Amino acid sequence: MRIDERFAISAPIEKVWSFIRDPHTVAPCIPGCESVEALSANCYRSTVAVVLGPIKARFNVVVQITEEVPPNKIVCVTKGDEGSKASIVSARSEMRLTALDANTTEIACNSEVSIIGRLGKFGFGIMKKRASQIAAEFAAAVQQRMQSAHA
Amino acid sequence: MPEIAFHRPDTVEAAVSLLAGHAGSRCIAGGQTLVAMLNAGLLEAPVLIAVAGIAELNSISFRPNGTVRIGAAVSHRRVAVARELGGSSAVIREAARVIAHPAIRNFGTIGGALAHADPAADYPAAVVAAGASIEIAGRNGRRTLPAQEFFLDYLTTVLEPGEMVTAVLVPNAKAGAAGHYLKFSRVDGDYAIVSIAVTLESEAGICSKASIALGGCGPKPVFDARANSILLGTKCETGIIGKAADILIEMSDPIDDVRASANYRRALIPRLLPRAIRQAWCQIGPSP
Repeated sequence: MRIDERFAISAPIEKVWSFIRDPHTVAPCIPGCESVEALSANCYRSTVAVVLGPIKARFNVVVQITEEVPPNKIVCVTKGDEGSKASIVSARSEMRLTALDANTTEIACNSEVSIIGRLGKFGFGIMKKRASQIAAEFAAAVQQRMQSAHA
Repeated sequence: MPEIAFHRPDTVEAAVSLLAGHAGSRCIAGGQTLVAMLNAGLLEAPVLIAVAGIAELNSISFRPNGTVRIGAAVSHRRVAVARELGGSSAVIREAARVIAHPAIRNFGTIGGALAHADPAADYPAAVVAAGASIEIAGRNGRRTLPAQEFFLDYLTTVLEPGEMVTAVLVPNAKAGAAGHYLKFSRVDGDYAIVSIAVTLESEAGICSKASIALGGCGPKPVFDARANSILLGTKCETGIIGKAADILIEMSDPIDDVRASANYRRALIPRLLPRAIRQAWCQIGPSP
């Protein structure tokens, strides 16, 4: 399942980069992210809950950053599972930051996500829409937190 | 599969207090979607509360003001042949007729289908176009709200934990009113790729009321008052219907899936809408 999202944040690119690159500032912006723990400078363990109507999932994931070009590009590989519920998720994600002007930064994300197990039985069509909703919530949360941090 | 506790209350009040008393409990009526989802491991329900045996949920009746009350546990098969649903309300009867196939229509219920809120299912668009209301019971009694406000998102409604759907209230069918439900799917008995529910009223050969809702075109039934008002005062001519279709396309946000792409779904709207409207209009108005 391929997910492509882009959104703009009203802040200079360097500030957006340092915000996004720090797991402790970015984690609270990720909808459903319950915890994040740094295993090393480039590797994090996190628990993320996703809800779609009556369907609830909680993934334990490890995010490994495989490439970064500050302040423009970050590539990571995510692997995780649902514990006992036997869904396995893996994703390769790329995030690109572009300065649209001195105070506006566009974030473009694309991910190739694969889900196998019980959630793989659920339609990808609705899952993709849910991913867009999550991206929009993430964008709004980043915007809000960056604004209040600079206020 | 883990063990499931099963309760069979006799009244709505007992069902609601069981729902409130058990975290993670769910109502089961026909179980046509719920059991499949439990089997697939998509859902967990440590406690199931069977509501099909509750008498008041099992009848279709007229209220003094002419409103038709369809109990939540009435099967699709019974709705499909309900004589009470005439005029514009026929849209609900016609939708019931094309849900899945006979075995599922014998067990599946209107309340269950609405509470599940699958945007590609047949009832959601039909009840919105019919101007129906949904009656909900909870610990603090009953509340009723327009069908349009009931659906929030994919598989998500206004139902709070501890609440259940108890009935669908369909407004009085007026003379000179007609409804039609048009479903497009490649395989008989499948979910709709796109469906169109329409109700019309005519006065002296002119459209005096219109209500259109689309299924399969977004996270909930697509409904736009502007598309309805375009038809008012007209004889539902093709050009006019095209303008209504443009608005509905703009309001649609369909999914890409194995059945069809989002673009294909959008492209279906202007092709199906004239057909659906003409089917309803030919029952009440002059040919355009």
